[in-house]
Amino acid sequence: MVVVDAATLAKRELNRRLNSLLAEGETAIEVQNPGSMHNLGTALKGRGEITVRGSTGFYTGGFLEGPRLVIEGNTGWYTGDNMLAGEIIIRKNAGSNCGPSMIGGTIVVHGNTGGRAGLGMKGGDLLVLGSTGRWCGQMTMGGRIIILGDVGPGLGESMYRGLIHVRDPEAESKLGGNVEFHPISADEVDSLAQLFATHGVQADPNSFMSVRPMTSGRHHYTIFNPQLSGADGR
Amino acid sequence: MSEHERHGASPEKSPKDPAIREEAHSTWSREVLSEIRYKAEHGTHRIRGCGTPRPFPGFNDLTVLPSQLTRMAVDTYREPCETRTVLGKRFCTEPLVVETPILISGMSYGALSKEAKIALARSTRLVGNSINNGEGGLLPEERAESYRQVVQVLPSRMGFSLRSIEAADALEIIVGIGAKPGLSGHLMGSKISKEVAEFRQIPEGIDLHSHPRHGDIFGADDLVIKMEQLREVTDNRIPIFIKIAAGRVREDVKIAAKAGADGIVVDGAQGGTGAAPVVAADHMGMPTLPALVQAVRALEEMGVKDEVSLIVSGGIKDGADVAKALALGADAVALGQSVMAAMGCTVCRRCHTGRCAFGIGTQDPELRARLDIDTAAKRVANYIKAMTHEAVILAKASGKTRLRNLEREDLRSLTLEACAMTGIPLVGTDFTFTEPFGFF
Repeated sequence: MVVVDAATLAKRELNRRLNSLLAEGETAIEVQNPGSMHNLGTALKGRGEITVRGSTGFYTGGFLEGPRLVIEGNTGWYTGDNMLAGEIIIRKNAGSNCGPSMIGGTIVVHGNTGGRAGLGMKGGDLLVLGSTGRWCGQMTMGGRIIILGDVGPGLGESMYRGLIHVRDPEAESKLGGNVEFHPISADEVDSLAQLFATHGVQADPNSFMSVRPMTSGRHHYTIFNPQLSGADGR
Repeated sequence: MSEHERHGASPEKSPKDPAIREEAHSTWSREVLSEIRYKAEHGTHRIRGCGTPRPFPGFNDLTVLPSQLTRMAVDTYREPCETRTVLGKRFCTEPLVVETPILISGMSYGALSKEAKIALARSTRLVGNSINNGEGGLLPEERAESYRQVVQVLPSRMGFSLRSIEAADALEIIVGIGAKPGLSGHLMGSKISKEVAEFRQIPEGIDLHSHPRHGDIFGADDLVIKMEQLREVTDNRIPIFIKIAAGRVREDVKIAAKAGADGIVVDGAQGGTGAAPVVAADHMGMPTLPALVQAVRALEEMGVKDEVSLIVSGGIKDGADVAKALALGADAVALGQSVMAAMGCTVCRRCHTGRCAFGIGTQDPELRARLDIDTAAKRVANYIKAMTHEAVILAKASGKTRLRNLEREDLRSLTLEACAMTGIPLVGTDFTFTEPFGFF
């Protein structure tokens, strides 16, 4: 176990230190006094686990490629942006736009997260044990989002590819445009069961529903929507 | 309604015909009526390819002053004039070095055929400039052929990852483009072939509407932090440009410079695209000429003009435009529609249909086969060489041995409008009647 005190390090210095330790083969690193630092854990590569005792700011674990990053507090916006591989575990809550354009790996948010979670995901898994804000899964092009708590309106708006699993009983009424709501499939249940087992999540995969992109046709958008009053428009 | 009328094209008639000349300026011209009929039939806005055909105030309204006695001309054919240009050296260790300040703009594989993309990339090896990949990711074939490669960081992030950054000679964060500023990107389903679908990770045949805002940059404050992140990922090796459409240019340029850009690309309203709402292409954005001047003023006010590279695009078509843009303060220009024309594009403005007869703006295998990559590459290279010749000719006649030494004082305005927009004195006078721009 190597302990790094972030209080005296500039963020680039800290990230350089973390990447050096990982390259040297360290598998257990602890960061103390992160002070909500932005860009903590940028482009980390290798194998190993980094535990941050406290909260971080924006872009935590951006471009992550391999390590497991555990944040014992909260993270700010844009956690795990463009990450390729590895894990980011957030013990408390994550800010808005968590996991934008993720390509691979796994993000687990033990608390809640804000709007636009998983925006534009290309791959990987985003698992939210709490609730999400609106427009979760907007314009995904791959990957999977699982939400155990409540979802906000606009769920899955304009998904192109990808998958969302929800168990909010009101989810169907909160769907965004150009997506479909279905019972979960047997394969999806098996896959979820494995993911839950890996991350120690106590939930029944069969209690989820699936949100999927349209399989045919073109997306339809409404730009002008007159709110007429009465049958004759008066 | 005939196909001809459906696309809003008027039949060719002599401009000497007084009735036709009058009609062209009528509120109720044939084109206007055609647009009204389209909307009456379809209940939605019209989409069109390329950029706006509207004439805008431009570089044609400036003239370059030749050397006579006040300064000495440089020999047109025997004496050298340096064209090599260094871009983006503000914070990085490996700036973008090109042999001519004429770059190729981002045009995506998808909007263009693979053959067109390869031809454009190959042309850069013939003249020593850079190509920008555009939306959707970086084709391995493009990177394999390009002399210098700029990779875009777009809201959609399609095909973008650490691997793209590693392959790039420069990054360009896209905030907007001139043809459709503030609007979503648009790739018509007819162009999303199986190959393009796999490349972009999207379903085949579906109309793609990407987001106008970055999912991880919600405003200027976030951009500062994002820039720091990208610098860390690149280890300060390559430049990071920020591209804006010409809207509130002064303020946007200042924000981009303050956010830490090594270079700023300003795309004027004349910029082109594969598909855009007609109303946006025709009625949004500032033309390139006044946008360039405002950008230069902004950087000078901040005292960073010599640090931050300024690249302009939108309607650049010849070496005179290049020379005048450099004289006004641009460090380079970027071409889009004009290099497509050099390859054979006729600017029919139907790119969005995916039926380009020249194999450029299409994914149809039969049409693509019509584009010979080597021939197209040579044509683009020839065009850029010829433009460079033209710019050099003007520079030497102005007494310059380096293209970048062209300056404001070499220019005069031919019209009141150009004078008012640029602060360049009206030809034959020392008169300006607008904000100062380095004179008096």
